[in-house]
Amino acid sequence: MALFVSGLSHRNAPVELREQLAVEEDKLRELLRDISSTNAVREAIILSTCNRVEVYAVADVPGEARTVMFRRLCRHRGVEPAAVEAVLYTFAEGDAVRHAFRVASSLDSMVIGEPQILGQVKDAFALAQSCEAVGPALHALFTHAFAVAKKVRTETEIARHAVSVSFAAVELAKKIFGGLEGKAVLLVGAGKMSELAARHLVEQGVFPVYVTNRTWGRAQEMARALSGTAVPFDEMSTALAAVDIVITSTGAPEPVIRRELVQRVMHGRRGRPLFFIDIAVPRDVEGTVDSLDDVYCYDIDDLKQVVDANIRERVREAHRAEILVEREVAKFLAKLGDVEVIPTIVSLRERLEAIRSGEVKRTLARLPGATLETREAIEAMSTAIVNKILHAPITKLRESSRAGSPRSWLELVHELFGLGRR
Amino acid sequence: MHQTLLTVAIIGYVAATGLALAYLVQREEMLHRLAVLATLAAWVLHTIALLALAIDLGRPPLASMPEAVSVAAWVVVLLEMWIERRYGLSVLGAFVLPVALVLSLQSTPTRTLIGPTLSGAWLWVHIGLALVGIAALVLNFAGAVMYLLQEHQLRAKRLGTLYYTLPALATLDRLTYRTLAFGFPFLTTGLILGVLWAGTAWGSVFTFDPLALSSYVAWTVYAATLAGRAAGGWHGRRAAYFAILGFAVLALTLSAGLFLPGKHGG
Repeated sequence: MALFVSGLSHRNAPVELREQLAVEEDKLRELLRDISSTNAVREAIILSTCNRVEVYAVADVPGEARTVMFRRLCRHRGVEPAAVEAVLYTFAEGDAVRHAFRVASSLDSMVIGEPQILGQVKDAFALAQSCEAVGPALHALFTHAFAVAKKVRTETEIARHAVSVSFAAVELAKKIFGGLEGKAVLLVGAGKMSELAARHLVEQGVFPVYVTNRTWGRAQEMARALSGTAVPFDEMSTALAAVDIVITSTGAPEPVIRRELVQRVMHGRRGRPLFFIDIAVPRDVEGTVDSLDDVYCYDIDDLKQVVDANIRERVREAHRAEILVEREVAKFLAKLGDVEVIPTIVSLRERLEAIRSGEVKRTLARLPGATLETREAIEAMSTAIVNKILHAPITKLRESSRAGSPRSWLELVHELFGLGRR
Repeated sequence: MHQTLLTVAIIGYVAATGLALAYLVQREEMLHRLAVLATLAAWVLHTIALLALAIDLGRPPLASMPEAVSVAAWVVVLLEMWIERRYGLSVLGAFVLPVALVLSLQSTPTRTLIGPTLSGAWLWVHIGLALVGIAALVLNFAGAVMYLLQEHQLRAKRLGTLYYTLPALATLDRLTYRTLAFGFPFLTTGLILGVLWAGTAWGSVFTFDPLALSSYVAWTVYAATLAGRAAGGWHGRRAAYFAILGFAVLALTLSAGLFLPGKHGG
């Protein structure tokens, strides 16, 4: 019996192939049932996202199982198997465990630390469970993977810093103002991206929101969408004096916000900082504005640089996460040894408990006058006998599994205690 | 006994400073935790050393400049630990502990600068208050340095490791303002008591004493900064520059007391 994962991802397969192979939920159920019905695979989970299609499985003969599964997958999707098999990667045992942990922790994602993948892995797990394709080994693997992902998220800063321009702008605002509660924002021009950035700011407590635009109707529309106030374009300088953050995104060919204007506005602000987020190309804020005291101005290129710095930051944190994952892999492998023997231990306990409770019942039936204490004493004694008898075989099974050779012991225990076929 | 304790405490401060600086660069949470532990352990030892010294001397350990500086270092570390917790400012140690370390290194109590003729409650209060003021202004200095570093990152738009570790500009500006507002009254009262005391003990307020003169300059810088902040809307970079200027004069003041002949030292 062996654990393995096989698949393709953004790392090795072109998007065209990934698209072709990606499976939707209904088909996935069908496919899982189909695979389970063959005897080649004991347990299987299929993870299908736009960046990867992977099969996590437990099988007696992994090579055969892999071929069977991907042949079926290709047939379902109408893809030429040769193209898929050419790029397929496979990890077995410890490497498979590591891969599962890395994927769930978003260390193998295209954008390291992105939060969606954990949800997708959880969905894949739930779906396979509902198709009864998950057994003890994959159950243990995936529940552990979820715990590792959570640990990575809380103990490293892998997901802390923004990798989108609009979130990066929000983070910058926080580094300038501290909390954003009650800070006011002005949108100059109405674009999709500035609306998005404004929404992120509002989520952080930014209030009120002002919107101005050369086209009055557009300003009103956007103001409505953001529960803000529309301001006539020629009253922009009044609004500038009142706000803390300005997002500009007009299509104007010349800067809309000139240095003189900002200088005048800053005069009346008594040093309250003003933060320009200029996402327009060509720029809306004159380049020399940011040399003014207490004025911070980030154009789209600056914001992209911030995003790059944040990505480097995530990569740095990813190194720490890899160490954490490595430790968890070792922990899991030690536990996995037990996984193989646990079903036997459970049925052994159940078998002896059935005998014990049956005998106790019969004995007590013959002792109608027994006091509560007597009954309890009999229960306690019988339980103690069972536990003492079980102690040696259970210890032996655990030891043998850690030594890597539980098979003969498992069979022996099944034979001796009449537990039936494994 | 207090000598040994003090030496161990100083070694502790060295370790804490090293760990805090390493944390600033590496940002390993473990380093921060160790730095906090080392700081606390060294501070506790420092406390015991000061108590032992006071018992040995039979008076507060404030009569000589080295003693007083040692107590100042003790207050600095206490304030550092408190503010770090209060503001959740885990990098504060990296900026404050080096100063505390330098101060504590001056405290090999070999020289006595105030003769046994000078004593009395007023003297202790004068020195004690001035020290608390100085300690708060060390924190003020650290806040200003952090502000300037963070402001530089945000202005240059090249975000290095400090951008991530240092808190928001607004937080740092508030920290420098509050430490100044807290330390200044202590410094002022301490100085006034000193002046009054000098009038009676030395016969004149304006005797030539390097420490006294230098401390008037420092006081003027801080008074101007505080006035500028409260009335003139000074803040941010300008306030930070003044905090650093004030601290430079303050450092001169302490050096004058430690190394120059005068009524306070020599």
